[in-house]
Formats: sequence, C-alpha cells, structure tokens
Amino acid sequence: MSFGAPYISIPEFQYLKPKTLKEALETLSKYEDEAKVLAGGVGLLNLMKERLVEPEYVVDIKGIPELRKVTYEEGKGLTIGATVTLSELENNEIVERKYTALHEAIKVLSDPVLRNRSTLVGNVCEAFAWMDSLSPLLVFDAELKALSVNGERMIKAKDFIIGLAETALEPNELVASIFLPEPPKNSASKFIKFRSRSEFSVINVASLLANRDNPPERILRLAYGGATPSPVRVFAVEKVFKQQKPLNELLKEALDVVFKEVSPMEDMHASKEYREHLMETLTIKIIRELWGE
Amino acid sequence: MKMPRKITFTVNGVKKQVEVKDNELLADVLRDKLQLTGVKQACWRGECGLCTVLLNGKPVKSCLILAVEANGAEIVTSEGLMEGDKLSHLQKSFVENGALQCGFCTPAFTLVTHYLLTQKPDASEEEIREYISGLICRCGTYNEIVKAVKQASQYYKK
Amino acid sequence: MRQKYIGKALPQLDSFHKVTGIAKYTHDISLPGMLHVKLVTSTEPHAEIINIDASEALKIPGVVAVLTGKDFPYRLGIYVGDRDVLAIDKVNWVGHPVAAVVAETMEAAEKAIDLVEVDYKPLKPVFDPFEALKEEAPIIHPKLGEYRRAPAFTPVPGTNIANKFTLRKGDVEKGFKEADVVVENRFYMPFVSHCYMETQSVVAHYHKDGTIEIWTSAQSPFAVRNLMGLSLGIPIGKIIIYQPFVGGGFGGKAGLHWEPLAALISKKVGYKPVKLKLSRKEQFTSAPVREGFHAEVKVGAKRNGKLTALKAKFILDSGAFADYTVNVSRAAGYSVGEVYDIPNVYCDSLAVYTNKVPTTAMRGFGHPESAWAVERSIEMLANELKMDPLKLRLMNVVKAGISTTVTGERLREDAGNPVQCLEAVAKAINWGKTEEKPKEPWKFIGKGLAVFSKGPAQPPNAASAAIIKINEDVTVDLMVGTGNFGQGTLTSLAQIVADELGVPVEKVRIRTMRSTDTVAYTWQTVGSRGLFTDGNAVLEALKDAKKQIKEVASQVLRVKPADLEIKDGKVMVKGRPWENVPLSDIVMGYTYPNGNSIGGPIIGRGKYISPINTYLDPETGQGIPTIFYTFGAAACKVEVDVLTGKVKVLEAAQAFDLGKAINPLLVRQQVEGGFIMGLSVALFEEIQFDERGWVLNPNFSTYWVARAADIPSKIDTIPVENPQKDAPYGARGIGEVVMLGVPPTIANAVQNAIGVNINNLPLTPENVWKAIKKQRPELVEEIKKKLVSWKWKV
Repeated sequence: MSFGAPYISIPEFQYLKPKTLKEALETLSKYEDEAKVLAGGVGLLNLMKERLVEPEYVVDIKGIPELRKVTYEEGKGLTIGATVTLSELENNEIVERKYTALHEAIKVLSDPVLRNRSTLVGNVCEAFAWMDSLSPLLVFDAELKALSVNGERMIKAKDFIIGLAETALEPNELVASIFLPEPPKNSASKFIKFRSRSEFSVINVASLLANRDNPPERILRLAYGGATPSPVRVFAVEKVFKQQKPLNELLKEALDVVFKEVSPMEDMHASKEYREHLMETLTIKIIRELWGE
Repeated sequence: MKMPRKITFTVNGVKKQVEVKDNELLADVLRDKLQLTGVKQACWRGECGLCTVLLNGKPVKSCLILAVEANGAEIVTSEGLMEGDKLSHLQKSFVENGALQCGFCTPAFTLVTHYLLTQKPDASEEEIREYISGLICRCGTYNEIVKAVKQASQYYKK
Repeated sequence: MRQKYIGKALPQLDSFHKVTGIAKYTHDISLPGMLHVKLVTSTEPHAEIINIDASEALKIPGVVAVLTGKDFPYRLGIYVGDRDVLAIDKVNWVGHPVAAVVAETMEAAEKAIDLVEVDYKPLKPVFDPFEALKEEAPIIHPKLGEYRRAPAFTPVPGTNIANKFTLRKGDVEKGFKEADVVVENRFYMPFVSHCYMETQSVVAHYHKDGTIEIWTSAQSPFAVRNLMGLSLGIPIGKIIIYQPFVGGGFGGKAGLHWEPLAALISKKVGYKPVKLKLSRKEQFTSAPVREGFHAEVKVGAKRNGKLTALKAKFILDSGAFADYTVNVSRAAGYSVGEVYDIPNVYCDSLAVYTNKVPTTAMRGFGHPESAWAVERSIEMLANELKMDPLKLRLMNVVKAGISTTVTGERLREDAGNPVQCLEAVAKAINWGKTEEKPKEPWKFIGKGLAVFSKGPAQPPNAASAAIIKINEDVTVDLMVGTGNFGQGTLTSLAQIVADELGVPVEKVRIRTMRSTDTVAYTWQTVGSRGLFTDGNAVLEALKDAKKQIKEVASQVLRVKPADLEIKDGKVMVKGRPWENVPLSDIVMGYTYPNGNSIGGPIIGRGKYISPINTYLDPETGQGIPTIFYTFGAAACKVEVDVLTGKVKVLEAAQAFDLGKAINPLLVRQQVEGGFIMGLSVALFEEIQFDERGWVLNPNFSTYWVARAADIPSKIDTIPVENPQKDAPYGARGIGEVVMLGVPPTIANAVQNAIGVNINNLPLTPENVWKAIKKQRPELVEEIKKKLVSWKWKV
C-alpha cells in the first residue's frame, strides 16, 4: 500500500521491544505521540516510508506472550490478540465456522504473503475505509480492548473508527485484542468484496442472518466498507427485516434505508454513481445469497 | 545519529552477526551487507513481493520488516534453496518449464512456491495462482510458474 | 547440416544465474566509495524556476553536493533532442527532476531532498493535447526549432507539435465514394507504464583520464554510448557501457535515460562513482511512460465487405518530452491498416506536447495504438455489414507477393501469411460454435479476434555485427551487441552457433555482463529486430569462421575446402568421414609433426544492414519502413458480468507467422507473456492524473498489473512457419507483436458477448458498466430484475 512519496528508506527512530505488557504500556505512557506500536509492520513501515508517520520510538509488541493468543469460549466469544497474524486466523477453524464473513474477508485481504505478517488488530488501527476486515467486525459487534497504564476499556468497533485513518485510541493506549461475541444462534454470515483494479475494495459488504423463517426473531445485519470514508453498519435496516413480508418487499425497503443512511463517495477508484450501483447490487446479492431458496 | 546495534540471525543455515541501525530494513541489510542479491526490490512498499524471504520458515516481504525484528531468526533466501551447488528440484523445474524471462522476480517466486509445496504438496492450480498473487512477474510467466510448481510437487510429497 | 538445437525448446542459457538469484543486475552493482543520487522533483506542472536554495540540504551529514539544471546545459535525445538532464530554467511536468542530491547514503540523500527549496513562478499548464494544439495554448518547448533532430521528423517550432507524420495512398475520398458502408468512430488509450520490475538504474564512474564507465539497466548499450557522446560532446571512444542482467525493458529502456546525469554528477563530485536507482514512484512520475492516444478512424467497404478506404487521425498525448514518441507517432501512422489490402489510405499522426509525464517507446511502438483503432473499427464494420468478422478479415488481409501495403510496398513473396494465423486462432477457440450460457443470467459469454502485424521501426541504416571467437577447447565466444532483458535472443543465437559449428550448445558462451568494448556493435535492441539482424550477422560470422577452419583443414586433409564439412567437433571429408581432423587441432592453428604450423586463432566476423529499407516520403509516407512484417492473430473467449461490468478472459490463443521457431519455448514465453501484458493493459492499466497534473496512482496497489489469478490458464501459442529467405533460418521477430492485438481482441469479444462497443481503454468494470448503461439501458434493467428473483442455493 502506498500513496506517492519517493522514499525507499525510513527516518531514524529508536526501536524498543518490551517483554511484558506492563513495560509496553509504561513506554507508551512515557512517549505518547512520539511512540508508535509495531506488530506486523505492514501498515506502520509503509506509512513511515510515505513520511505520513515519523515516530521517535517504535514499540515492537511481538515479544509479549499474552498478545499472541486466540482464545474461544463457547457461548461467550472469540478473543484475538494484537499480534495474531491474518494467516493464523485464516487457518483457524472457529473463525471459519462461526465468523464466516470475517474469514471470507481475510482470505481476500491483500495477499497470502503479506497475511503472514499483517495482523487483524493492525488492520483495524490503520482505519482505512477500504480495509476488508472492518465491515465484518461491525457485523459481529466486535469490541476492542484498549489498555493503558490507567487501566482497560472496551471500545465498540463502530465507535473505534472515527474517520479516514482516525481512531478513538489515545496515544498512551494499546489495543491488546479484539473480542467478537458469540454470533446469534442459527446465524450465517457472508462477505463480498468488489475489487476493480487495485488491491482494495471499491466497496465491500458484510452481512449476517439468523432465524430467517421467524420474522420477530429474525436478525439481519449489514455493514459496508469502502463506500464512505469510514466503514459503516446500517443499524436502521435491522428493523425492516423484523417484518413479516415477502423478501422482495423487504429488500426494497432495506435499500431505501441503506441509501438514506449511506451516501457513497467518489474517488479515484470509482464514481459516486457506480458505487451506488454496486451498493445496491451487492446488497441484494448478499442478502439473497444468505436467504437461500 | 542513533547508534547501530549488533544483531544475530541464521541466513541460509549460516549464523551471521551484523551491525544495523534501528531504521534499516531487512531487505536492504540482506542485499547490501550480505550481498544476497536474490532478494530484489521493485516497489519498496510490499506490493510486488520480490523481496520475499522465508523468515522462520514462512514467506514474508522483507522490505516491510526491520532488520532488528529479525534478530535471532532463521532466514532463507533463494540462494539458500539450492542443494549445495546444485539447483533444487523446484529451481530445476522453473528452469525446465521456462518459468523465467528477465529473472528479476524468479527468486521470490521460488521461495513462495517452495513454502506452499511444503505446506500443501497437492495444491491445486487455483491454489497456486492464489498463493503467488502477492507477486508480480511483468514478463508474464505465471502459467509456466504454475506448471513448474505442479511438476516439482512430487518431490514434496511424503 | 543437422539441426540438433534449432527448433528445440531449450531453457535460456543464463537460467541458473536467474533462478538462484546470483545474477547481478544494475540494482546490485556497488563500487567502493560509491555515492547515492536522489532526485528533487517538480511540484508544479509548468513553471519558471526562480531560485533553488540547497543550503539547508547541504547541512545534512553525508550530503556531498546538490546539483541543478544550471550545472548541465545539455539537451538529450534520440530523434528530437528535447530532454534536459535536470530542468533548465523551467519545469514542464509534476515530477520533472529539478535538482539532484548526492550523498554517502540513500538515507541522507532522502532526508536532504525535503530541504531543497525551489521557488517557482507558475505558468499556465496544458494537459489536453487538443487544447495544446490551439493557437492560444502555452508553448512547452519555446526552443523546439533549435533542438537536434533526426531527418525523419518534423517538429513545428512555435507550436506544441513535436512531430507530424502524414500518409497518403491512393485517393481516400474516391474510396469513400465507392463504399456502400462507412463507419466512423473515436478511440482512446490512456498513459500506461512499462512496469518492468527492475526500475531504471545506473552506476557511473567518470575517471580523471576522461574515460567514463557506466553500468546501466538499459536495452541498448551502443545507443547509450552513441547518444551520450552526441548529446554531451564527449568522444565515443571515452565511453564504456556495461550491461549487466536487465530486469525487463519493454521499450522503456531503449535509447538514453539517466546515464548522462549520473556520469556528469560523477565528474562534479570529484570523479567518484555514483548510483542512481529510481523508486517505483519516481519510475511512474519522473521517467517516461507510454503516451496517451486519441484517434478518429473512418473506414469504408463495399456491401460484400471489400475495404475501399481508411482515413485516420491520430493525436499522441506525448507529455513533456517526446524525444522518442515522435517515432511512435510515425510508426502509428505508417502501420494504420498495415495488415489489410486497402487501395486508399489517409492518415495524419501528430505527437503533441502536454504538461504531463514524458513518454517513450513501449512494446509494439505505435502498432498497439493503430491496431486498437483499426481492429475495433473493422469489428464495428462487420457488425454494420452483418458479416462474420472473421470472414471480413480473411477477405481483406494482405497477400504475400501480391498486395501493396499502406506505405506502397509490394509485399515480398515470402512475407508470411495472416490468413493461416486467423484460421488457426479461430479454430483454437471454436469460433462460430455457440457456447453454453453461464447459469447466472447476468453473465454473458463472447468471443473475439483480431489480426495485426509488426516489423522493426528502425532507421533504414540500423546495423548489426557479430564476432565468433573459438577457444582452444572449441568453446565458442558469441559476441553480439543485442541486449538480454528476458527475451532470450542470445540463447536462440547460441543454438544457431552450436548447430552451424557442430558443437554442444553448452560450449557456446554468452556473456552475462556485456560491454560496448567487448561485444560487436548493434544499433539497438528494440523493435523485435534482434534475432533477425544480429542473427544474420551471426550467420555471416559463422560462414567466415567456417571458411577459415576449412581452409586450414583442406591443407591437412588434402581436399578442396568445398569437400569438407564440420560435424561433431571435427572437420571431415564429405562421404569419407573417417578422414577427419578434430576442430581442437585447428582452431588455434594446425601443427604438423615437425612443428611447422599453419592457420592461427579463428575469429569469425559478420555484419548486417538492411539493403531494402528506405526513408518514407515526407509528404505521403510511402516507402519501405521495415525489414519484415510478422503477421499474427489473436482470439479469446470472455465472460462479461453485466451486473458489475467485470470482464474475465476465459481462454485465449495467438498465432504468429514467425517464419521459423528457433526455440519454441522462448516463443511460447513471448506469446503468453505478451498476451498477459496485453490483457493487463486492456483491462486494468491507466496512469490517472488529477486536474493539476499529479499522478494519482504511482504504485502497484492502485496501478494494477495482471497477476497470476487475473489470467486464463489456457493461452495457446500457435507458431505458423512460412520462412522468409533473408531471415536467419527464416525467422522473424516476435517480441512485440505478441501484445499489440490483445486489447481489441478482448473488446471485440465483449462486443460479441453483450452487443456493446467500448472504444476507450481500459475496460474497467466501471467503464464497461457505464457503456452498457448508455448503449443498452434495457439490459441493465432486465438484469436487475433477474438478480432479485434469482434462486440462490444456500
């Protein structure tokens, strides 16, 4: 990923590799804005080559054992540590079975070699609209665990990304893990990426459906990446699907809601008009596909 | 000026100690300090994949890794895929199938496909294509590379 | 002569170096005490340079010097010398190098470029070539009339026209009057980048005695030497160009590039070696790319399909320097409809300056441009005539020995056969057979084809030479100037040498690092000329060497030289092979038992220059522009997703009348590689500019180059072998023709699939979707309905 700077080297900084979480948090608290956290490095080192970030200190968190873990508790959910790579998640059976939309997104995110290095937490912290992992996280009600010397707070994924490359994280905080609650019973999820001629999504959509045949209990969630400067989950659409109506009518109503809530942007990858068309098409496609016969 | 530090890693089976500055990238150190020219650079941004090396057994793009991060690691470059002074079966298969033209991307493709075959010797054509899609060969030898990998896969099956 | 190697699929002889990574490219060259160069580039599209202040940059530890255009008052170029070494007085595009920082490390140099302050006085820029042609347009090269230029080119001083080429054959207006059907359309191709994997790089060492040594990632070492000498006023004898392994070229490393800058800097900093290696971003924005192309084409035919007239206007958006693109405009102009027998042809082809990235040669050189416009036009004509596009093409393609080309050349009898090529590719994709419809109702299958040709667009006097040196152990040094950047021509030449001398091919040595003072001359390695021109020179050198060998052997064996043959490492008497003498006894001189010796070391020499090429008439463009035409055809099957506009190529085939496949493996590499590059250009590639002339996508994330998952696994290579008598073993070149017909082939298949014409490249999903929406709105609505009611399987 790059933008347009001519550099091939990165500016000087001091490399720190804390062995414990405590040490890492103390370092961040000491240096605040002057320090940046390094996990896979795919995002950070690129931003440094582009001179968009020039930290004095780079804090490598790969030496901290508790950040390396993926843990799943039946009925509660899945916790993914900050240094867990995307390829590890790709090969994780729970992710594939229970969090299918996320798994599908990871499988098409950048490329297999980069996925050996890049991490899900790193992806989220970069907060780029077109990152494929964000819309699935919104659909699964993911929460990020932010730690600092002052303690711990959970930030909902939907509140975490506040703009293009902007997050709610304080400079002294570290995202230790992402928590994905147990998905609703009987749910299935899906992810569709539409790529034109770049590695990024022109637009992507994630959706989750449960209890199709029981409208009051029916759950349908929808989130988009790449459509707007930050990923968006369209909560308002969820009411629509609680109604007992034929799917075609539900789809029509849902699209009205989606277009009211989400106004696709225009950029070098696509015009507004084309994104709108894709948003409509992919929404119908993903819901129809989850819905089945 | 920040002070350099000494790091140690194993490169192609040989233990090496090098002095690096914190901001030096692994690709540059392998190329400039260890003369491992099989590590190429063509985008410097992790997009083309030509700087791929095996780091603790896995293919990674070394233009986006600090040399200090590789302290204590095992690194294999294309030079290290050889069996003594002979080509490995996979390298031989690349040559025989014409899976190279200008040769600038070839070392990276051999490393990535070597790893794939160790993990999945029976990888399908589609899986091979997908797995090498982080790398660019502008000469367009992709189909020959797929053939070469298929042909060499017999040597990875247990 | 027994052909043991010719016709054999042999891997490139330098494969070992490449596959292991021990091959040394210019990127890998490092000299003791070498300094690093980094460019400071313009942030303005068109501006006067008021002042450059490098004082802060010079304070960075390790920075040795900062140089500007004032240090280098030279103009460079091959055809129109419009380029500067660093911007002189004025910048002409965003990315124009204005200063060069020289430092002990790249890190220091990169720190320093941020501190060089450049004051600009902005001038009005012009980005659109049509605007640039207007009278009130800002003039990008006010001194155009003063530039050195080659005789074939006609820049128009006082305008932004870098070259105007005109072609006039027959009477085009009369031709249109005779036509029953006329189609007229506009076409466009965007700026694209060669994207060779090794970025341009050069290491230069100017020595105190005036000798200049240069290691460069260039296609043509002799052209670098010659043009450097000409441009800088340095005697050619002082310049040595080394060509290590080269990581791709595709035309973009032809001619001269950064070598003068690096050499001059080396002198300025006290005769120290320096290295300039472009980052990918610099490669996209500060080095030349392929020009943007606008065309208007009108073609007329009789009701039965017979073509009567073709009229074209080409505008090449050449960017800020058109040094090389002037010849692209000429080649685009003289190749318009080249593959067809058309009595009346008219073309104006203009290279026009704009304030964008400069442009240069790229694989196909004007022919991809003309083929895009012509092969789309023919397809639309077929539609208009309600005629099978294959039939229309078969009816109109040129016939060897009979047809007269658009430049008025009667085609030689052994020129090759486009009909066979068309028939072969049509068969390969089951042309005319209806394919099964995909199960999703929004996906459509279509097939398309195209026919085209290409010969080297070289000056008529472009020469080549070869030296064959035989060593004591009968290993052979093959010393030719043709460059090696992936094509493998040297391997093909080695196969010829091995067969002609009867030695194993492993005994033929080709240099992995070549230099202008150790190999024989060749003008350039461009235009698919290498195998033909250098191959002819090699054959002559072999003849010379064999003559010398036989003269010695004839004395030893006491027969006439004509009664001898060279085989299996021996010289033997024809019919009495037991009467022989080993080559090893001859090649350094033969010694009789008493010590008397005859002969001496064998060195064969050969040369080639075209006796038939001519300059083209400045008014009519008539003449003989090339030494051969390689005819070819491409066909493919595509799937178009009407919902998204996405085009997927499912399978493809290309056939070329290459005369003789000296090495079928290398042929396949070229044909497949060319198809893939053509597919990439057709579907993805476009340098995007914003309204201020900045490149928006100077990287491989957003400038997409086809990868393994983007291409079909079935890309058939079909060699057609009608040998040409003046070619080595009949072989014509194929390095470029393999990519040039791919975009129209794909667009024709899209038209066949959904009945929508797309004449602007690339065929991105959005462009295709918009075209469908405009041309077939009812289809978009129908498909949307089908999507909603489509029964999905869970």
